[in-house]
Amino acid sequence: MAELSDKPVVASRETIVTPGWQRWLIRVRAYFWKEVNEIRRQPLLILSLIIGPLLVLILFGSTYVNSNPRVRTAVVLPAEGIPGLEEEQLRQVIGLNFDLRLVTKNQAEAEALLASGAIDLIQVLPDNIFQTMRSGVSPEISFTANVINPLVEGWVQYLAYAQVNEINRTLLVVTTARAQEEAAGIRVRVVDFEGKILEFEQGISESRKEGAEQDLKTFIDFLDELNRILPPQEVLAQHSDELAQLRPILTRVRINLRDVRRALLDETLTEGLLELAKTRNDLQLLSGTLEIFVNIAPDRLVSPVKLSYRNLRGSAYSAVVYYSPGVLALLVQHTAITLGALALVRERLMGAFEVFRVAPVSLHQLIIGKYLGYIVFIGLATLSLIIAMLVIGVPLLGNWLQFAGLTLLLIIASLGVGFLISTLSGSDSQAIQLAMISLLLSIFFSGFFISVDSFAPLALPVVYAIPMSHGLAGFQHLMLRGLPPSPGSWLGLSLISIITFGLVVIITRRQLLRA
Amino acid sequence: MIATQKQLAIHAEGVEVDFGNGAGIFDQNYSVPEGTILGMIGPSGCGKTTTCRVALGLLAPQRGTITTLGRTPTRFTAEDRERIGYIPQQFVLYPRLSVAENISFVASLYGMSTRQIKVRMDELLAFVDLTDARDRLGQNLSGGMQRRLMLVGALMHDPALLFADEPTAGIDPVLRQRFWEYFRRLRDEGRTLVVTTQIVSEAIYCDYVAVMRQGRILAVDTPMGLRRRVLGGEIIDLTLGDPENIGRALATLRRWRDVVKSVRVAPNSETDLHVVVEDAREYLPEVLNRLENQRPRIVVASAAPLDVSYDDIFIRLMEEAQAPQEADHG
Repeated sequence: MAELSDKPVVASRETIVTPGWQRWLIRVRAYFWKEVNEIRRQPLLILSLIIGPLLVLILFGSTYVNSNPRVRTAVVLPAEGIPGLEEEQLRQVIGLNFDLRLVTKNQAEAEALLASGAIDLIQVLPDNIFQTMRSGVSPEISFTANVINPLVEGWVQYLAYAQVNEINRTLLVVTTARAQEEAAGIRVRVVDFEGKILEFEQGISESRKEGAEQDLKTFIDFLDELNRILPPQEVLAQHSDELAQLRPILTRVRINLRDVRRALLDETLTEGLLELAKTRNDLQLLSGTLEIFVNIAPDRLVSPVKLSYRNLRGSAYSAVVYYSPGVLALLVQHTAITLGALALVRERLMGAFEVFRVAPVSLHQLIIGKYLGYIVFIGLATLSLIIAMLVIGVPLLGNWLQFAGLTLLLIIASLGVGFLISTLSGSDSQAIQLAMISLLLSIFFSGFFISVDSFAPLALPVVYAIPMSHGLAGFQHLMLRGLPPSPGSWLGLSLISIITFGLVVIITRRQLLRA
Repeated sequence: MIATQKQLAIHAEGVEVDFGNGAGIFDQNYSVPEGTILGMIGPSGCGKTTTCRVALGLLAPQRGTITTLGRTPTRFTAEDRERIGYIPQQFVLYPRLSVAENISFVASLYGMSTRQIKVRMDELLAFVDLTDARDRLGQNLSGGMQRRLMLVGALMHDPALLFADEPTAGIDPVLRQRFWEYFRRLRDEGRTLVVTTQIVSEAIYCDYVAVMRQGRILAVDTPMGLRRRVLGGEIIDLTLGDPENIGRALATLRRWRDVVKSVRVAPNSETDLHVVVEDAREYLPEVLNRLENQRPRIVVASAAPLDVSYDDIFIRLMEEAQAPQEADHG
């Protein structure tokens, strides 16, 4: 070992005395550089914090196809099929929303697949749909699912509802077309029967009486059939006023003709000439209305309301762009919370607090220095990520200054949460655990994947206590809509920053006194 | 109590901090003159660190008064703290910072400017022989280098008073001796040091030694003073040529009360006598003369001052402190 140096160990005294305010800043700077130097010595940490999430975002964007779950479905057809609906049509209708894996008439086979988990849903279509409908009973499509995901179950129920609506509409179109076809034939008979009524008005011979009565009965039967096959009154009424009168006219004609038939049998026909004339007029009206009815496209009759959609922005963003503000907010928050969570607990456990107490430093210098160190590091990391996002096409339509301000506030608020975790943790691992819980909370409650509106009011305090909730909303406004963040975003982040700073100062002061 | 003409760096009277269950420090009375080294020696848990923490203002005494550098420690201002250095027991510098960065950090806490730090760091790294390691990370330093790094950190702001809590624990004897060279050098340049240790033999390096047990200071004195206090003086070890003469030798020396404070047969020996005198080297020739002048002559085969280790002195102090307690319990 070398000999001791002969130089005195007493410091070379400087004549310049450092002013008090400068010493204050030097102490803050001490913590600042200590944090910066410690972090920059961990390149893997920096890589994992910046490159990692960016790669995840790119992978997500390049592979994301659809947000709807794929519901693997089997359709069980009735043994005789569905009259009027071809199997191919059925496949097209069901395949719109469901991943149709099997169309079968063997229900047991489908149930076995459902039980084994090979499919998620069975749809059993009913026998004799039209016959059942005619008997006044609603045919039922039975859906049986085997899903464990509540969101998927919600989707299945919604899609089942949409599908049944679509089938109902299709059936309505088919029956309406059929009704129009029959109505066209009946209309010819109506025109023809106008002549017969005229004949009745002029008087009918005894020899024609029996034939006329038979004609009348046959015609009434046709009108009854017409009444049965016509679409519901609501469908007719929603199209036009003329069609709204079709059923009332038909009903009136049927009643009148029954009266005419009765008068013919009672031989009192001549006493009701006026009614006969009215009936003839009604038949003319019926003929005209039927002409309107048969000439309307069945689609227009069943679905008179058309859908028109326009997105003011042309089209929505791609998924990768839409989720980018959320990823940015999540990354900023998670980085700040994780680093902050370890910042104080490590020093407290290694005994540095004792050294800080002996040294002429104040608690505020300690806290402010640490805040500054982490703000600079996380700020640089965030800047790198933003540049990378801009390169891959994520827009920033809003004001840059507001964006920088919101990012800074999000970093400060998140650091506050991290430091608070650090003050409350008894060990490194506990701090990491709490940071992970905060991450989990953020994913569920910040509006990242699940809309904030989906939660009961009870959860709102949790939502508002998460910095990312405000950061995400603000970033989406700024980046994707080009709007300034709402006052709520600024206020939320400011409150979290102030409250956490206050709590960190109070708790750390107590811990320093115990050091 | 150490009596001295010098100014007192630390002065404690009746200081007590009771943690309960017998833990704490009790009735501590001691003073540390400026420009001296006070060694606090005692077993683990005897209250050495607590004593330092009270003097540093980290703990407030429940009873008694204490001043450090003329101020009540719990009311230290930043300026007061700038005059104090502290090396805690464990390594609390940062593993991911280099030696220079660690030193800069600690120095900045004391408000030193970048220029001041640079000049001072060069001086102190040379002092502790760490100049070549200035860019090495804390995590890559050996235990001894870590200790030296902490010493540099504590000295950067040129404190008038340095507390070092077991700075030599767990390091090899060569480096331990080197540390004490640093400390004595600092003392020679006018600083006051309070150094705690469990290694009793290190008492020899201190100007004053406080022997501690169960939170109490059993004795505070110079190393020599402690020795005298325990042994009653210094010991001359005599080996008689003829064991038959041991009775006459004992009687002869016991009669010489002006010089001989006590004399007894050495433990486990039939020929050796331990003669306690004020100054062994001064009185050795006279003791020999007196025995050899007897008729018939008492032949002394060998004679030399007995170097009693501080471990033995420490053990005797402990036994003395324990005896009244046992008597109380018995």
